[in-house]
Amino acid sequence: MINRFPGKNFGLLLLLVTAALYLMAVSQSLPENENRPTVYMPYQEAGLTKQQAALHLLNRFAFGPRPGDLQQVMEMSPEQWFARQLDRSFSNPQLDHLLSRLKTLRKSTEELAETYRQPGMVIREAVREGVLPENYTELEKSELRSKLQDYYREKGYRPLRELYAELVTQKFLRATYSDNQLQEVMTDFWFNHFNVSVTDNLARYFLTGYEMHAIRPHTLGRFEHLLMSTAKHPAMLFYLDNAQSTASDTVMITMGMNVERVAGRRAADRVMRNVQSRTKGINENYARELLELHTLGVDGGYTQQDIEELARALTGWTAYPYGRKEARRFEERYDRLSKVGFVREGDFLFRADLHDANAKTILGQSWPAGGGLKEGEEVIRMLASHPSTARHISYKLAVHFVSDDPPAALLDRMTETFLDTGGDIRSVLIELVSSPEFWDPKLLHSKIKTPFELVVSALRATGTRLESPRALYEWSSRMGEPLYACQAPTGFPDRAEEWVNAGALLNRMNFGMELAAGEIPGTRVDLPALLDQNDPESPEEALTLLSDRLLPGQHTEELQETLMTLVHDSEYRQKLESQIPDSGGERSVSNPFPKTADNSHNHTPNGNDSGKENTALLARITGIILGSPEFQRR
Amino acid sequence: MISRKAFLKSAAVSVFSIGMGGIPAFLNRSALAAGTADAASRRKILVAIFQRGAMDGLMAVPPVDDRHLAQLRPQLYMRPGRNSSLIDLDNGFALHPAFRPFEPYFRDGSLAIVHGIGSPNTTRSHFDAQDYMESGTPFDKGTSSGWLNRAVGLSGHDPTPFQALSMTKTMPKSFYGPHPALAIEKLEDFQIGNATGGAGVASDGFEAIYMETADRLLNDTGKESFEAVRMLKSLDIDRYRPSNNARYPNTPLGQSLRQIALLIKNDVGLEVAFAESGGWDTHVRQGTEQGSFANRAADLSNSIDAFWKDLESWRDRVVVMTMTEFGRTVKENGSGGTDHGRASCMFVLGEKVRGGRVHGSIPTLAPEQLEDARDLPVTTDFRSLFAGVAGSHLDIPDGTQLFPGWKGNPMNILRG
Repeated sequence: MINRFPGKNFGLLLLLVTAALYLMAVSQSLPENENRPTVYMPYQEAGLTKQQAALHLLNRFAFGPRPGDLQQVMEMSPEQWFARQLDRSFSNPQLDHLLSRLKTLRKSTEELAETYRQPGMVIREAVREGVLPENYTELEKSELRSKLQDYYREKGYRPLRELYAELVTQKFLRATYSDNQLQEVMTDFWFNHFNVSVTDNLARYFLTGYEMHAIRPHTLGRFEHLLMSTAKHPAMLFYLDNAQSTASDTVMITMGMNVERVAGRRAADRVMRNVQSRTKGINENYARELLELHTLGVDGGYTQQDIEELARALTGWTAYPYGRKEARRFEERYDRLSKVGFVREGDFLFRADLHDANAKTILGQSWPAGGGLKEGEEVIRMLASHPSTARHISYKLAVHFVSDDPPAALLDRMTETFLDTGGDIRSVLIELVSSPEFWDPKLLHSKIKTPFELVVSALRATGTRLESPRALYEWSSRMGEPLYACQAPTGFPDRAEEWVNAGALLNRMNFGMELAAGEIPGTRVDLPALLDQNDPESPEEALTLLSDRLLPGQHTEELQETLMTLVHDSEYRQKLESQIPDSGGERSVSNPFPKTADNSHNHTPNGNDSGKENTALLARITGIILGSPEFQRR
Repeated sequence: MISRKAFLKSAAVSVFSIGMGGIPAFLNRSALAAGTADAASRRKILVAIFQRGAMDGLMAVPPVDDRHLAQLRPQLYMRPGRNSSLIDLDNGFALHPAFRPFEPYFRDGSLAIVHGIGSPNTTRSHFDAQDYMESGTPFDKGTSSGWLNRAVGLSGHDPTPFQALSMTKTMPKSFYGPHPALAIEKLEDFQIGNATGGAGVASDGFEAIYMETADRLLNDTGKESFEAVRMLKSLDIDRYRPSNNARYPNTPLGQSLRQIALLIKNDVGLEVAFAESGGWDTHVRQGTEQGSFANRAADLSNSIDAFWKDLESWRDRVVVMTMTEFGRTVKENGSGGTDHGRASCMFVLGEKVRGGRVHGSIPTLAPEQLEDARDLPVTTDFRSLFAGVAGSHLDIPDGTQLFPGWKGNPMNILRG
């Protein structure tokens, strides 16, 4: 897998190599059709109807049903639908078209690193090239800004928010429109498991590549591949500081050891003196979270000593320094450097001059001195297949797909499957849906939707057209989930009590009301179309029709009864039917999306002015249903 | 869940009133507000600030003459002496210059520092350590309630909607448990359905269905929300002007404390408030006089300073306490920062605080004195401080009820 540094046409070659690796990774985890497993789902034994089973699948392995989805899954059979989700075999030409407008998704890490640069680096470069004076801080603010803007334009540099906006956009588009829903659910799940955050000044430039290359190809493959690809990705290397973790200045480094082998002790001493100023010591951050969060789990049986030894094994694991002076130096000397233990794999760089070459013992297993890059890779493989990891990953999957407190017997079986299959995620999911626990009627609708799940499921349930996710991104943040911006490496929580509190709950209700009223910029709601133009003749009828559409296959008798009592109240009824006023515009929140004409308000949900009152009635009832307790669970 | 009774009562009234011909539910609010304000007035208020990420106590309040500190921290050590920016606390300790707003309170005796404080559980995982500190049971993961929730219950007062409030997006574990608590990030966003017109359509509709739902969690939270909305509506929160020209930083912590002050002055029955200060996990380029640590320290001290100025005439009722999950390595790491350690320090501010002192003890930082030969050892159990503060301030006599399984003694940090 080592790419020799190819010289002039490096950018293009790297793009091709990256694309090839990506395709390989995708094809590896896509099984042949005849291998498609026959999944048995014991929902009938659990006393569920086929419709209930289909709804449960759409709630757990998709972002909720769209109009007609329930029928489709029943016709196809729940088993068949799930098998196709595992295969990711639906084609989505419309979605592909929408995604094709997002240019950053197809760019290599290097291209992105060259276009979206840290402002500090751009300023230093502009000073170097004489575009800005040395004492640029003394310039008038407006002058500095306009000089920098010109410089950005001339160089083709772009602001980071553009990269971030496209990343958020693709997430909303895929979750809302993709027919391969499980792929999107799993991408959300694994990104959260291996969380990195846009709040990190260095990692933020690499999130797009991280999701596209380190996460998406491996969502339903082997856990080991996910673990390795995240461990070597610049986003993770920067986010948890491993890129800054080096051998301490008193220990033998891998490069020194290699030089000694080839050229003798004295040459090695020279090398050691040379690099000692750069080797300052380990940073434990990544090693700790690798054990605690990514693999064994906090009670998985490791010690502080294991963390330190693991951190030493991973010293020298850094990101290729795209767009920096060092990159050229590496390029020129790569032949020689690779002989003393340097390894480049795409965006990842193993620096033999920073790697602690001494022996290590991790979780009772020993590695002799001089293991280089292989040593860290072996440790990661060992961690990926460790019984505690099997248990921890099974637990997190079961919490996400089954219940906040998953049954122990199910965890045992999932753990066993994980270990038997070498960490095959598909097999673990198949074990999960084949279990009676998954179909336990008590656990239907038991998971609270995350804010993102709520937003996307509401778009899907109402058949809303998504034009720009700018305002939806704000809503998701307001309800507690700023996308790609969870600062802690734990990722966002996955339990009800962490999402439900007074502030968040009111925001959930308000979100429902505003979406239904067409008040959320960038969304187009068409409620008459949702009802197939069946104009309800009374609030009572509207309530019945909308409950049926928005909560298909769910028991909504209680909800309907309560609302019916209200609707019968003449004063309330009057309010229900009154017109929806113009709202005072949107709140300003930090948001990566530019304000454009596309995002302007859309006050008439049905696109014309006739029947405004009826539309207001539909909008309000829809809003109340979207904000109801029933819609908060999946 | 006994003490949810008060909510059930008023909730039943409001749903009934809609059914009886559309008396808007919020008409109840004046009666409700009057009743609670009366019962709640003169209640003591504890403000807890969690510094997430683990503050480096040795940079916040360094033992200035310890030569080991200078050796172990070639980049991070700040030298004492005539030209030093450190604030000398006269007893072998100094205060980091970014905490300068704290100095007058230390000098006038209302600010205390507890050093060498932390958890008896040696975990260096942020998430475990935070959970343990918030549940107050450092060896029991199964605890379902937070210590501040238990404190609210043990105070024995009638619940009011704003009795326990966290100014955060999500409910902190400190407030998990049977007693009602609110998590609100911004008071001004705390309302229902204003944008979509038809006053009361949304609030009446949602209130009705959330009261009726069998979903326990959503039912409870819904009730708490609607009560709080009603109470908040009766206040004029938009035109709040802090007293004494107090200037709150425009940061999450500054704004949290500003809103807490607003609620305290409106006498809504607040007893325990919770706020967060983030960004203390300084693994990389921690800095000295300036840098990431100094920025966080300045935000913390400026925010608390503004709060304390704003509340000048309320100080007899308020105690502010900071907490952080653990400290950081005595030795700096390879990237100009520090890794996860053990003990740190905490600040307590209040008129009755035995202030002007550094409580607790830390040994000289020679390797053989350190925990695992690397970390500042924990010499004061955090429960001792928490029980000492909550015990006398909130009038909870028995620390063992607050901290199940704990056998230690509450710290004598507040004057009777």
